[in-house]
Amino acid sequence: MNDESPLLTVDNLSVGFVTKGGIVQAATEISFEIRRGEVLAVVGESGSGKSVTALALMRLHPGNAITTGDVDFDGRDLLNMSDAEMRSVRGSDIAMIFQDPMTAMNPVFTVGSQIVETIRVHDSSVSKQDAWSKTVDLLQLVGVPEPKRRASQYPHEYSGGMRQRAMIAMAIANDPKLLIADEPTTALDVTVQAQVMEVLHEVQAQTGSAMMLITHDLGLVAGSADRVQVMYASRLMETGTINQIFYESQNPYTMALLESIPDVDGLKDRLEPIPGNPPSLLNPPSGCAFRPRCNYAQPICAVDKPVLVSVGVEHESRCLRAHELGADTEALV
Amino acid sequence: MFAYVTRRVLIAVPMLLVAMYLVHVGVSATVDPRSEFYVCLPRCQEGFDRITEQYNLDTNIFLRPFGYFSELARGNLGDSSSIGEPVWDTLKTRGWNTAMIAIPAFLIGAILSLLLSVYSARRQYSIGDYTFTGLSFIGFAMPSFVMALLLQHIFAVKLEQLFGIKPFNTGRKTGENFLQLARDVTLPAVSLAILGIAADSRFGRASMLETLNQDYIRTARAKGLKEGKVVWKHALRNALIPLVTLWALGFSALLGGSVVTESIFSWPGIGQVFLRALGDADLDLLMAIVMFGGVLTVTFNLIADVLYGVLDPRIRLG
Repeated sequence: MNDESPLLTVDNLSVGFVTKGGIVQAATEISFEIRRGEVLAVVGESGSGKSVTALALMRLHPGNAITTGDVDFDGRDLLNMSDAEMRSVRGSDIAMIFQDPMTAMNPVFTVGSQIVETIRVHDSSVSKQDAWSKTVDLLQLVGVPEPKRRASQYPHEYSGGMRQRAMIAMAIANDPKLLIADEPTTALDVTVQAQVMEVLHEVQAQTGSAMMLITHDLGLVAGSADRVQVMYASRLMETGTINQIFYESQNPYTMALLESIPDVDGLKDRLEPIPGNPPSLLNPPSGCAFRPRCNYAQPICAVDKPVLVSVGVEHESRCLRAHELGADTEALV
Repeated sequence: MFAYVTRRVLIAVPMLLVAMYLVHVGVSATVDPRSEFYVCLPRCQEGFDRITEQYNLDTNIFLRPFGYFSELARGNLGDSSSIGEPVWDTLKTRGWNTAMIAIPAFLIGAILSLLLSVYSARRQYSIGDYTFTGLSFIGFAMPSFVMALLLQHIFAVKLEQLFGIKPFNTGRKTGENFLQLARDVTLPAVSLAILGIAADSRFGRASMLETLNQDYIRTARAKGLKEGKVVWKHALRNALIPLVTLWALGFSALLGGSVVTESIFSWPGIGQVFLRALGDADLDLLMAIVMFGGVLTVTFNLIADVLYGVLDPRIRLG
């Protein structure tokens, strides 16, 4: 594999859940790439399919899920490899950081032993002592004070922010090529959020790993991502670089999301919420899934299903009016 | 850990004393060893007075335990009127006999309920899960004497009639060597174990299911751990806590003797002698057996408390 080839290529990934009411399509025909060392942010409301996509990459989604599509990670087929091979990828080549640090660590084992376990499950030649001293170094790296003492403490003796740091330490223990951070700061206080994001960026820069940052917080994305991917109702709505998404968005959903961010400078008088609720994934609306809530909707939107169209270099949008939206959007309403 | 255990013991000791006091008052209030004398009074006034004096029956019922305790402190549990030997000796031999079926019953019960819990939780709503759910309801609903009789009938009678083999004895402690004893012990032990399994495996299944849905289980899988390690290391330790309570209380009840099972299998244990003591209004023996049950309950509660601490640092350090 040369450095030019993408680290992760997801092609047409769909995840559906079999329920009594029918099949719930939680991720539909998702295709994207993550390049080596870059940060890709995946943004969307709750239930838009962000986490399911990430879990499907790790094959950690619930048992009643049906997954189709292709996922190529560094030349390896993630969806069709054996369970044993998949285990060797998890925690080693791809590591994951979860949303709620309060519940993501096993309460009955020390933080240190849980990190040691992560190291030794992938390389049993490392002695316990070596793994332990590496663990202390890792905790130091992510900014846990007194790492020697803290390593032998239990998760309940850590604060939320410290636990998330420990989770990061666990995730980077085996120098992963890809870090998947699933809403890593959502459960934390705002002040702690910034610290944790800083740690995440430092370690990501140090290890040179790529990161898939799943969040619903566009503010977080602005400061940290290279590229952004917006999801809505199980589909990708828009993909582009950070500038394209924030300043040249050609998708009504992205634009509506941006309208709803508070502005610290106070230039906005009031926030513009998106009216209505996300659609049911069990029977989504006809045509475009965002149509019922869209300011730019036209009759055609209820009939034709929009596809992702290219609207610029590496910039794609799923909207029938994507090309019109670039210029003078006010006139289109 | 030391501080935690000390704390639990310090709570257990007064609890034990209060329990023993209440047991004494309770038993004294319900059993009157003079009952057969009332019909012949005043002809048998002499015997009546003798019994009254022997058991201090003219002392206030709430003060009577203190006399008993001071005798107890000297190691004197009194003499059994129905068996005619010191209560301590009876308790020792009968207690050991009961332990001989209670310990295997506990081990069978604990191991099987654990395996069934993990199996049913891992394969929720599978045919196996439904089968065990159904069986455990039957085990729950069936009175223990029916279960015991069925086991006897099938394994100790029918098998011999039909195939000429007799793997187990119908009960009664006859064995000289270990193998003989094992044949005697198996059926009573199994029939005692089944009731426990029926209940414990339900609780264990629920606890295991809840644990398997926790975030840290997903973390363990995301680390690349094998499923076996995820279940038996990360999940089990957390799921065990409710089971430990059930096991500890169940074991203390088993050691206290089972009246029904011991009667059906003619097993000379505590349950059997308890029935006899009750019939003969053998106050000292009765008192000792009920006390023993109380001591067991408090002791095993303490053991369960200590095990919680071993399993869960939040309890130990909190």
